[in-house]
Amino acid sequence: MFRCDDKQTLISYVYGEIDHDTRQAVDAHLASCHACAAEVTALGDVRSDIGLWVPPDVELDFTIVKKSQLPASNVLRPARWWTAVPAWAQAAAAILVLAAGAGIANLRVTSTAEGFSVSTGWMTPAVSAPAVGEANGPRVAGTSDELKVQLAALEQKLREEIRSTREQDTRAAARTTVDEATIRRVQQLIAASEQRNERELAMRFVEFTRDMNMQRRADLQNIGRGMVNYEDQLQRQRQTINNLIRVSATPQP
Amino acid sequence: MVATDEELVARSMDGDVDSFNQLVLRWERPIYALAYRVIGRDEDARDVAQETFLRAFRALPGFKGQAKFSSWLYRIALNLCRDWIRRKKRTPVVDMPEGVDVAELAAEQGPVESIEDLVARHEMSRIVAAGMKLLPEEQRTAIVLKEYHGLTFQEIADLQGCPLSTVKTRLYQGLTVLRRHLESQGMTREEFKK
Repeated sequence: MFRCDDKQTLISYVYGEIDHDTRQAVDAHLASCHACAAEVTALGDVRSDIGLWVPPDVELDFTIVKKSQLPASNVLRPARWWTAVPAWAQAAAAILVLAAGAGIANLRVTSTAEGFSVSTGWMTPAVSAPAVGEANGPRVAGTSDELKVQLAALEQKLREEIRSTREQDTRAAARTTVDEATIRRVQQLIAASEQRNERELAMRFVEFTRDMNMQRRADLQNIGRGMVNYEDQLQRQRQTINNLIRVSATPQP
Repeated sequence: MVATDEELVARSMDGDVDSFNQLVLRWERPIYALAYRVIGRDEDARDVAQETFLRAFRALPGFKGQAKFSSWLYRIALNLCRDWIRRKKRTPVVDMPEGVDVAELAAEQGPVESIEDLVARHEMSRIVAAGMKLLPEEQRTAIVLKEYHGLTFQEIADLQGCPLSTVKTRLYQGLTVLRRHLESQGMTREEFKK
């Protein structure tokens, strides 16, 4: 048995969360109680109206990003920095390594009329006198001190070259990251601005249409009122003329 | 085959961030809509939605799966909304966002809807939003959860931490206030249909 003041059952009925027997009891009550039937209809209409309220269609795009997935814009060294070193510098580095090895081994290369001879500091020279070598041909290898100076100069030059290459790469990488971010930001701003303008235009168009409609209705009402006044005046004039005709037709004593 | 929430939650708990981002993508709009309708401000609703997912991500290891993932998200979002309302100590503002609705409604309704219908729909939406503003927070939240998110009475009672009967009372009273508000605005259903 359903009573009119049982609003909890009524709301269950409106939302359809109700068991079969109770639903039948409410249905039976609504068939005879117009007040409750009207209330159920009205609540259903309100529910339909509520559906018209929509939140704005915004871009959300939330994303959880791990720290390790952040862009490595602050990493100064390129991952494969050695690939940026020029070929000549790589060749020089190879010579440097070779020369350093030769220096450690105290390697000697001599050229004589009989041909080249190679020896280390720990070996007995195959050809006895350096004077012979000096007399018979140019001596290719310098002394140990000269070699060390040359090696040091070469190493210094190589280090400077590698350092300058790294700095250029770092600056270029930073500039590229900043540029991309700026371009992305500008594109977002332009897109947002265009969207805003479109919406504003739509709003203005709607307002303009609404104003036009209101003005049209007001004009029609004025015209209607004017017509009524005109008809009234016309009617009065007709009556006056009829009176005049009647008076003029009456024989004067 | 689309992964269920439970599957994505399980993968997320194993450290798969991409799976959690799929959950975010799936639920960001309902959570934003919930926050928007409860607190009524676009920017703040975005903040609440974002904070909801951040908190969910951090608290994921503690999620035992007793409730549905969506219910868990709703609970976090509603707590944040409640905090926002208390912190700001103000009534939610539910004015229609400037210049948004007409274009969007036009897109939704297609070319057959006349401009008069569009204006009427926009006006109706604004009046409904204003009516929701009149409701106490609990009634408004109950209506939002029921009408826009399709939760059951029991789910709403769990989220709001109140008996089932209280939820029904809140819904009935809220709908009745809205009904009177709509009638006072002269926007009956029949008029809108014209």
